[in-house]
Amino acid sequence: MVSTSTTDSSAPEAVTSGPPSPLERRFTLVTGKGGVGKSTVAAAIALHAARQGLRTLVCELNTLEQVAPMLGHPPSDGRVTQLEENLYSVNIRPAMAMEEYGLMKLRFRALYSLVFDNPLVQSLVRFVPGVNDLLMLGKAFNHERETTPAGKPWWDRIIIDAPATGHGLTLFRLPKIIADAVPAGNMHREATEMWSLLTDPRRTAVHLVSLPAELPTQETAELHAQLHALGLPLGLMVINKMPSPVLDSTQRARFTQWSQRPDDPLLGPLWDAAHIREQRVALGTQYSGTLARLGLPMIAFPHVPTNRLVRDDIDRLSQLLTRASAP
Amino acid sequence: MSDPMDTLLGENRLVITAGSGGVGKTTMAATLAVRAAMMGKRVAVLTIDPAKRLANALGLPSLSGELQRVPPAVFRQAGISGQGEMWAMMLDTKSTGHQMVKRFAPTPAKAQEILANRYYQYFSDSLAGTQEYMAVEQVRAMAQEGGFDLMVLDTPPAVNALDFLDAPDRLLDGLQSKPMQMLRSDAGNGIAARLASRGKGLVLRGFNRLTGGPFLTELTTFLTVFGSILDALKDASVAVQSLLRAPSTQFLLVATPARSNLEEALRFRKELTSRGLNFGGYVINRVHQPLPSIAATTQDVAEALKASPFAEASDTERQTIADALLAGLTAHNHLATMDATIIERLGLVDDATLYQVPLQTDEIRDLSGLAAVARSVIGK
Repeated sequence: MVSTSTTDSSAPEAVTSGPPSPLERRFTLVTGKGGVGKSTVAAAIALHAARQGLRTLVCELNTLEQVAPMLGHPPSDGRVTQLEENLYSVNIRPAMAMEEYGLMKLRFRALYSLVFDNPLVQSLVRFVPGVNDLLMLGKAFNHERETTPAGKPWWDRIIIDAPATGHGLTLFRLPKIIADAVPAGNMHREATEMWSLLTDPRRTAVHLVSLPAELPTQETAELHAQLHALGLPLGLMVINKMPSPVLDSTQRARFTQWSQRPDDPLLGPLWDAAHIREQRVALGTQYSGTLARLGLPMIAFPHVPTNRLVRDDIDRLSQLLTRASAP
Repeated sequence: MSDPMDTLLGENRLVITAGSGGVGKTTMAATLAVRAAMMGKRVAVLTIDPAKRLANALGLPSLSGELQRVPPAVFRQAGISGQGEMWAMMLDTKSTGHQMVKRFAPTPAKAQEILANRYYQYFSDSLAGTQEYMAVEQVRAMAQEGGFDLMVLDTPPAVNALDFLDAPDRLLDGLQSKPMQMLRSDAGNGIAARLASRGKGLVLRGFNRLTGGPFLTELTTFLTVFGSILDALKDASVAVQSLLRAPSTQFLLVATPARSNLEEALRFRKELTSRGLNFGGYVINRVHQPLPSIAATTQDVAEALKASPFAEASDTERQTIADALLAGLTAHNHLATMDATIIERLGLVDDATLYQVPLQTDEIRDLSGLAAVARSVIGK
C-alpha cells in the first residue's frame, strides 16, 4: 500500500539532521477537499500515535464531531476528554475557547465579564471576521504549549482535523494576516508565535488527504501549491478509498482481452461486476499516479465497503501507517 | 408518464443544488440543466469551481465568469434535437468581494478607499459566505434580465451549507448594531476617548490587553468606510431573500448513500424548512445498481469460462478466476444492498421526493455522457 519512493525518501532524513518524518512531528494538521475523509485520516493517525504510547490529542474545529464516535466513544464536545489510553479528543467551540483565552489573559472572572459582557465588545467579536477561526487555532496552539511540571511538552502529538481546502487555507493564513495587520500588542505577539509554529518543519506537518478521482486530485494539486507557497511544511499524501482489485495481474491481462460483454446469464453479471471494479481500479491508479507526482510521502487507504466506518476499520487503516513509518 | 424531475424542472424558475463536499453537486447541477435543455427549455447553469472535464463535456474550453452558450453542434452530436438552449457560467466567488464594493459604494472614490484599506483584503477573504451570497446576487440580476426559463444554481460545499444565506444579515446586524454605529460615528479616531469618557476605561484596557491597542483603531477606520455601502447592501439582501423564498425556487439536496452524508442531508433539510425555503427533494447520487445474482458454483463458472479468453488458461487458473469473479459480484451486490437499505431508511423518515442517480462506471467526457446521466435520474 505504501509507495516505495516515499519510505525511501523519508528514511535518510531521519538519520541526518533534517526535519523529522511527517508522523514524528508534534503538531499536525489534516486537510483536503470536502468529503475526502479528513476525519477518518485524523482518527487513524491519532490511533496510530496513541498505540505507540504517545499522549495524543485530536482537535476537531466546531464541527459535527466525527473522530470520537468513529472510534466508538461518545462525542467529547468542547472539553478535552480522554477516549482511551493515551488518546484524547476535543471539539473546539469558539465561545468556550474565548472564555478560556479571556480568563487566561485577564486573570479575573469579574474583569472578563466586564469586558465580554460589554455590548461593544460582543458586537465586535460577533462581527469581526476570522475571530472564531483565530480563537480555535489559538486554543490548539495553547495545547501545543502546555507542559508537564518537569517542563516537557504535555502533548506528544496534537492532530487537528482542519477545515476543507478554502476555509482551511483561510485558517492557516490567519496568523500571518493578523500579525501583519495588527502592528503591535498581545494579538500581534500571539499571531507571530502561531505563525512560527505553523511554518516550522521540525514541529509541524500538514497532511493532505485526497480521493483517487478527478476533482479531488485537481483540488489537492492546487492546495499543495498554495500551502507550499505559504511556506507550510507538508507531511503525508494520504489517498483515501483506493479501490482494490478483485483480479491479480495475470488475470487482469486476460480479462482486458475480454472486451465484449458475454451474452450469457451466468457470465454476464460476473463480467459486469469485474468490469465496473476494473474501471474504478484503473482510474484509481491513474489519479494516484498524478498525486504521487506532488512528491510527498504517499500512503493509500483502501476503500472500505461500508457506509459507516467503525473502530475496527480505523484500526486496520492505522496499521497501514505503522508500516509506512517503519524504517 | 413523466418523472417528478421533469415536473420540477418544468415548473420552476430556479433550482438550487446543495449538499456537503464531494457528493457531485456541480456535475448534478450541469446534468439537470442538460435535462431541462432536452425538454426544450432555455436554461442557464451557474456552477462553483467545476472540473475542467465538465466544461469540456459541455464543449467549452473552460467555464468563466461570463455566460457562454453550449454550442448547438455539441447537442446535435449527442443526438439531442429540439429548441432547448443551455448556457453555463462559473460563479466567481473570489472576486465578488471587489464586485460587491464596486457595485454598492456610493461613489467610485469611496470604492477605491475601501479597496485600499489594509483590512479589506483580509476581510474580503474571510467573511465566510458573503462572497457566495454575492454570487446569488448575480443570479438575482440574471433572473431579472436573462430571459431564462430555468436557472440551475450550484452552491458551495460547507458544513453549514446555508450559512451563506445569513452572511449579509450578520454583516448588516453587525454594522447596524448600536455600538457599531457609535463607533462609526466617531470617524475612526475617537473610540478610545468615547469609551473612556463613559467611564469604561477599564473595558478598553481589558480589551486592549487581549488585542493590543492599534487593532481597534485600524478596525474602526475600516468600518467607517465600509459602512458607506450599507444601504445598497441592505436592499440587495432583501431582494435576494425574496428570490430564494419565491414559490418557483426549489432546493435539491444532493447526497451519496453514505450514512454520514444522509445524516447531514437530513439536518440540512430541517434547516431549509425552518427558514421557509422550498425543498424539492433528495438527489441520491452514485447509487450502486444491483446486478442479477447467480446461483452457480466455482465449477459451473470455470466450465462456462471455457467460452471466453480464458479458454487457453489451465483448469486451475480458470478455477481461480471463477472464484475472483464470484467474489467480485458478491462484493458489488453487497454495496448495492447497503445503498438500497440506506435509501429505504431515508424514505421512511422523510416522505419528500427521492431521486436516485446510478453510479457511473465511466467518467463523463462529453454531452452524451451527461445526457445519459440526465436520463438516468429517476424520482419517486
